[in-house]
Amino acid sequence: MSSNQWEIGPIFRALMRNKVGAILIAIQIAVTMTIVVNSIFIILERAQRIERDSGIDEVNSFYLTTTGFGENFDPKSTAFNDLELIRNTPGVLDAIQINAIPVSGSGWSMSFQTEPGEEKETQGGAIYMVDEHAIDALDLEVIAGENFLPIDVRFRQPGVRDWPDNVLITKVLAESLFPDTPYQNVVGKTIYISQTEPMIVKGIVDKIQAPWVGWDDLEHTVLTPEITGFESNRYYVRAQAGQRDAIMPVIEEALASSNKQRIIRGMRTVQETRERSYRGDTAMIKILSTTMVILTIVTGLGIVGLASFSVNRRKKQIGTRRALGASQGSIVRYFMIENFLISTVGVSLGAALTVILNMLLVEMFSLNALDWYFVPAGMIVLWVVGQLAVFGPAKKAATIPPAMATRTV
Amino acid sequence: MLTMTDVKKVFRTDLIETHALRDFNLQVDEGEFVAVTGPSGSGKTTFLNIAGLLETFEGGTYQLDGQNVSHLNDRQRSQLRNEKIGFIFQSFNLIPDLNLFDNVDVPLRYRGFKRNERKKRIEESLELVGLANRMKHLPSQLSGGQQQRVAIARALAGNPRFLLADEPTGNLDTKMALSVLELLKQINQQGTTIVMVTHDQHLASQAKRNIYVRDGQVSEMSGIAEPAHIEMHQAAIG
Ligand SMILES: Nc1ncnc2c1ncn2[C@@H]1O[C@H](COP(=O)(O)OP(=O)(O)OP(=O)(O)O)[C@@H](O)[C@H]1O
Ligand SMILES: [Mg+2]
Repeated sequence: MSSNQWEIGPIFRALMRNKVGAILIAIQIAVTMTIVVNSIFIILERAQRIERDSGIDEVNSFYLTTTGFGENFDPKSTAFNDLELIRNTPGVLDAIQINAIPVSGSGWSMSFQTEPGEEKETQGGAIYMVDEHAIDALDLEVIAGENFLPIDVRFRQPGVRDWPDNVLITKVLAESLFPDTPYQNVVGKTIYISQTEPMIVKGIVDKIQAPWVGWDDLEHTVLTPEITGFESNRYYVRAQAGQRDAIMPVIEEALASSNKQRIIRGMRTVQETRERSYRGDTAMIKILSTTMVILTIVTGLGIVGLASFSVNRRKKQIGTRRALGASQGSIVRYFMIENFLISTVGVSLGAALTVILNMLLVEMFSLNALDWYFVPAGMIVLWVVGQLAVFGPAKKAATIPPAMATRTV
Repeated sequence: MLTMTDVKKVFRTDLIETHALRDFNLQVDEGEFVAVTGPSGSGKTTFLNIAGLLETFEGGTYQLDGQNVSHLNDRQRSQLRNEKIGFIFQSFNLIPDLNLFDNVDVPLRYRGFKRNERKKRIEESLELVGLANRMKHLPSQLSGGQQQRVAIARALAGNPRFLLADEPTGNLDTKMALSVLELLKQINQQGTTIVMVTHDQHLASQAKRNIYVRDGQVSEMSGIAEPAHIEMHQAAIG
């Protein structure tokens, strides 16, 4: 088939004489593209955020809080007895006392530095106070140095301000503190907390997230070896695979009856905690996806509507073209090309608007800048949507009989 | 050249069957100028549509330029229309959004001619109808007679063997009608076979041959022309 039959020139000139409908559709395509592309970009970013691995065995774990009351409540013996009770419960893989839960949104953070003194460069780090069972309970791996020994673990009274001598830190924190040293060689080095108090890095763990999912240094984490004797303490339990839901009530019940001078509350799975922490992101993804789908459908229907209208308006013209020798394919092609021209104006304008909206979002909500390839991808998607939408009306146009040309209506 | 033998055409709607053509027989030879007259609803347009491959038929045979067209598919029929037949319609059927140049270009593009070839043919045929200087005008900027001339240019640009016209002067006043007829006669003299449906006896009588259609059948007539009367008309248009 020769290029003469594509009729791009005449189609374009005819379009220019019926601009209004075409321009409205082009604008609709541009706006749709702008919103769809930016939405997809935001959705992908949010999805990536949600998918980040916390480093712990979320699926099999849960936690609860016990709060003591009464004159005779002894935090220290309670903690040791509780841990022994939990660890000996069938179905439990391991358990620890811990001051904060990863991904939960609340916890402790401190500043760390490699040289003592004021006004040195510091790195923030989340603190998890745990004992030597943390590696198994949290499903971590010591990738350099060694785990805590029972002897490293101290009992921390309320009001104590100093810190244990040995700590474990994550690989990411090791690399942030000592950018020029391989993380293996950070083992044995001294770091300083509260500006001047030294601690020795006893080991490096692979990965555990801090509690705050929105924090930039999400993997800056320090494990300190201590059992705490506060009024309220938290136990983190990792069940054997598939046992979590079965042992949750068992442990709650066992703890409650083993010591009547406390209440147990806030028992929750880590999965639920994650869902709560990312609720905003999940909601955003849902809203943007829905908006996107609705907008695309509306635009598609707009194209179908405009094309159907113009097919009906041009029935006689289509019959005449058929009488003059147009095949059915030529008629379909006419409407496809017409739509392609409209879409091309739409997606070109859309490309500019997409970038502008992204720049505004970057400016106002400090989102990331769009990767360039989102723009051509969006253009192609809307071109395809347009061609699919116009195909039905175009097929219908092709069924208009040539004899329509001689009908006197 | 164009031979119809016992051609039948029935239109079926929910309630009625209309036998638009019944055993329609006609032969038109190369170079003829045939005028078709007949009462309204007698089947003239139906005949012309079938002759021009705009419509299919049920029974009988139709040979166009020696080719039996009964079994052609839609695509082949389109191609045949494009190459062999030029159409002229009562209401001109120009495409309102295209200028004269682009209007005449329409069938040439379907023909697949190259750009230069198309340009040459468009200019020649608009020249022939006396509108070469209006190429960039839209149809709406022309009078009815001029529009029909453009339609004739469009029909002729592809050098068809046949020109089929359904009441080409039906929407024109007498003066313009006669000038269109003159143009058709001139075209016929240059070798194009013309079949023209008309209500106007005076116009019909100027054709070389007249046929009369009634109830979907042909009854040939001749010799009803009144030369003196027609010459008077021609004198009137100068
Ligand atoms: N598409 C159609 N559907 C149903 N009936 C039709 C159709 N086209 C034509 N007819 C019928 O077929 C018969 C012949 O119609 P046709 O248009 O050929 O007549 P005509 O001689 O051209 O009339 P006129 O002089 O009014 O143009 C009429 O009775 C008409 O109503
Ligand atoms: Mg008719």
